[in-house]
Amino acid sequence: MTTSTILEVKNLSKSFERKISISSLSFSVEKGEKIAIIGPSGAGKTTLFNLLTGTLPLEVGEILIDGQLIEYWQRKKLLADKIGIIRQQFDLVESLPVIQNVLVGRLKDWGFLKSLWSFIFPQDKQIAYQALKRVGIEDKMHVRTSTLSGGEQQRVALARLLVQKPEVILADEPVSSLDPARSKDILNMLTKLADEEKQTLITTLHSVEYAKQYFTRIIALKKGQLYFDLPSEEVTNTLLEDLYRLKELNEDE
Amino acid sequence: MNELLNSFDRRRRVFLNLLLVLVFLFSLTAIKWNEDLFHPGGGVMIVQILKSVLHPALSIDIIYLALEATWITLVYAVIGMSLAIVYGFIVGTLASGILIKNPLLKKVSIPFFRGILSFTRAIHELVWAWLFVASFGLTPYAAIFALAIPYGGILGRILADALNDVPVEPIQALKAAGASRFHCLIYGYLPSVWTTMISYTLYRFECSIRSSTIMSFVGLGGLGYQIQLSLADLKFDEVWIFLFFLVLLVVLVDLWSVLLRRSINSFSSNLFSTKRASIIIICLLVSTSWYHVIFMQQANFLQLFSSENVHYAQKFFVGMLGINEHPPAYLAWINWKNAIGLTWETLVMSILAIGFATFVSLLTVIPASRNFANGSLTLKRSIWQWIAFGLIRISYIFSRAVPELIWAMMIIFIFQPGLLPGALALALHNFGILGKLCAEVIEEMDEKAIRNLAASGASKGQMLLYGVLPTVMPKFLSFIFYRWEVIMRTTIVVGFIGAGGLGQEFKLSMSFFHYSDITLLLICYLILVLIADFFSEWFRKAAK
Repeated sequence: MTTSTILEVKNLSKSFERKISISSLSFSVEKGEKIAIIGPSGAGKTTLFNLLTGTLPLEVGEILIDGQLIEYWQRKKLLADKIGIIRQQFDLVESLPVIQNVLVGRLKDWGFLKSLWSFIFPQDKQIAYQALKRVGIEDKMHVRTSTLSGGEQQRVALARLLVQKPEVILADEPVSSLDPARSKDILNMLTKLADEEKQTLITTLHSVEYAKQYFTRIIALKKGQLYFDLPSEEVTNTLLEDLYRLKELNEDE
Repeated sequence: MNELLNSFDRRRRVFLNLLLVLVFLFSLTAIKWNEDLFHPGGGVMIVQILKSVLHPALSIDIIYLALEATWITLVYAVIGMSLAIVYGFIVGTLASGILIKNPLLKKVSIPFFRGILSFTRAIHELVWAWLFVASFGLTPYAAIFALAIPYGGILGRILADALNDVPVEPIQALKAAGASRFHCLIYGYLPSVWTTMISYTLYRFECSIRSSTIMSFVGLGGLGYQIQLSLADLKFDEVWIFLFFLVLLVVLVDLWSVLLRRSINSFSSNLFSTKRASIIIICLLVSTSWYHVIFMQQANFLQLFSSENVHYAQKFFVGMLGINEHPPAYLAWINWKNAIGLTWETLVMSILAIGFATFVSLLTVIPASRNFANGSLTLKRSIWQWIAFGLIRISYIFSRAVPELIWAMMIIFIFQPGLLPGALALALHNFGILGKLCAEVIEEMDEKAIRNLAASGASKGQMLLYGVLPTVMPKFLSFIFYRWEVIMRTTIVVGFIGAGGLGQEFKLSMSFFHYSDITLLLICYLILVLIADFFSEWFRKAAK
C-alpha cells in the first residue's frame, strides 16, 4: 500500500460556552487506514466528527484533507466527495422511501432542477439498486424508511455512503443501538466495503472489543485530549482501565 | 399494468398533493378576473388605509374609548368561556361514556351526547347570536350564549376524546382498589387530561376574544363595534388604534398561555408562582366580568323569559318551521335549487380561502422558523434571516389576531362584493395561524437528519426538498385541512357583509323575516360543514 496522508488534524480545539470539548488535538491518517476512536462519554468524539464534516464551524486549529484546508473543500462544495458520515440514529429522513434516502448520496452532483425531478421520478435508479444490493436489502427499495428495523436502516445509510463514494468514511457509533449479532454484521460490512472501495474508515465505538477486532489502529480520547494512539495489538488492558476510570487519581496528568 | 399501479401507489402522496393544487386552480376559475373586481375608488382606498397606519389617531379620547372597548370585549369573552367550560365539561364527560356502566345505555348515550356536541359546534357563534337575537331580542345574554354554545361544543368534544384516550391500566388499578366510577373520574381520568385541557382551553380563550369582538355585529359593544363605527366614518386612523388594542389583547393572552403551559410542565418553585398568579387572575376576571354584566349592564337573566320574549321566540320558531307557509321554503324545489347554487359558491369560496392562505404561509414559513433564522437548520447565518423572521412573525400575529369579519369589513372597501373579498378575508386571518402552526412544526423537527444532508453535500434548496418537505408535509396537510374545516364554518359569516354564498342569503332572509328560508340555509350550511369534516378526515387517512 502506498502511504500518503489523507487527513491531518493539527492543534484542534473546540469549546461550548466555557466547557472545553476538544483541546489541542493532533493526529494524522494515511489513506486506507481503519481507525477506531474510543473513549468515555463526553470525551469529544462526536464533536470531532462534527468538525470534520463541517457541521460545526472551525475555531482553533486546522484540518487538512488531501493536503488542503477543510475550508478549501467547503468553498468548492467538494467536501462531500472527500468525507462522508454514517451515524446510528437520526441519520435518514424517515418519511422518504428508501431509494430517496440512498439517492441523497447523489445530491452533491445534481443541480436543483434534477433533484426536484428526481423527487417525483427517482433518477439514477440503477446506482441506487446496485448499492442496495451490495448491502442486501434491494427488495426494500420502495418501502418507507420509517418502517425498517434499526439494522435495515443502518444498511440504507451504508448504501447511501456507497452512492456518495467519499474518500474518508466517518462512522459515528454505527452499532451502539444494535444487538451483538447485528453489530458484527454491520461492522463486517462496513470494513469490507471500505476495503473494496479503498476508502479510509474512521469509527467511534463504545466497545473496545470490536475496536480491537475490526480496526488496525486505535485512538483514545479523554476529556478532549489525545490519551493514546496505538496499533490495535499494542493496546493493553492497563491502558484501557486508565482510560475508562471514573475518578482521576491524579488531576494533573 | 401492475407495474403502473405500483408506481402510482408509490407516488400516491405526490399525486394527492397535485390533486389538491388542481382543485385550488379550478376554484380560481370561479372568479371573473377583470377590473370589475375592484371598487372604482378601491386603489385610492388601499393607499389611504395603509397611510393611516403611520399616523394612527393617538388622542386621549380615542385611547380611553379603546381601553373601555377592550374591557367590554374581554368581559364577554370571559363570561362566554366560563359558561362554555361548564357546558363542555358536563356534556363532554357524558359523551365520553366513562360514567356509564350499562353497555346498552352506553351505546345510546355516547352518540346522543356526541351529536349534541357536534351540532352545537358546527354552527358559527355569530349565527347562534343572530338566532338568539331574533328569538330573545337584543340582550347581552344573546351574545353570551352565542359564545358559550359553540365553544362548549368544541371543548366538550376535545374533553371526550381526551378522556377516551386515557390509558386503561391506571384506571383498572383504581377499580381494583375499589374505586367507584365517580372516583375514577376524579382520581384517574381528570388528572390525566388536565394539562391538555388547560392548554386547549387557553387557546380557545384566545379565540373567544376574537369572537367576542365580532359580536358587535349583533349589537354588542366593544372593539368590534368601535371598529365598525370608525370604518363607517372612513376614519382609518382610529380603526388602526382599535386594531392595535385587539392585537395587544390577543398577544397578552397568548403570552399568558405560553407562560402557564411552561409552568405546568416544570416543577421549579420559581415558576410555581405563575400557576398561583394564573388562578388569581382567572378568579378575578370571572368574578369582575360577571359583576360587570349583571350589575353594570343590568342584564337580568329572568327577563329573558318575559311573556313578550316568549311571544317573539315562539313567532321565530314557528316561522323557522314554516308552519303558516304553504309550502315552507325548505320543501319547495325552487328554493332548494337556489340554495344548492349558493352552497356550491360557499364551497368554492372556502377552497379559494384555504388555497390563498396555504400559498402565503408556505412561501413564508421557512424564514419564519426560529431554527432557520439562527442558522442551525441550514448552517448558514446572516442578519437578513433574523430581519425576515421578525417581519413575517409580526405579520402572522396581526393576521391571526384580527377576526375574519373585521378583515372582510375592511376588504369590501376595496373589492366589489363577491366571492373574492370573502375568500381574501378568510385567507388573511388564516395564513397567520397556518404559518405559526407550520413554523412550529419546522422548529420541533429533528435537525440531525437535515444536517446530515448537508454533510452529504446537499445545497440549501436540496435540503429543503429532501429533508424539510417530506418531514413536515404530512403535519402541514393535517393543519391545512383542519383550518379548512374552520374556514367552512366561517364562510357564512363573511357572507353577512356581502361576500356572497349562503351567508349573504342568510342575512337577506333575516332582514326580510323569511324564517323558513333560514331553516333551509342552515340545513345546507350544516351539510357543507359535515362534508368538510368527513372529507378532511378521509384525506388525512389517505395521505398517511
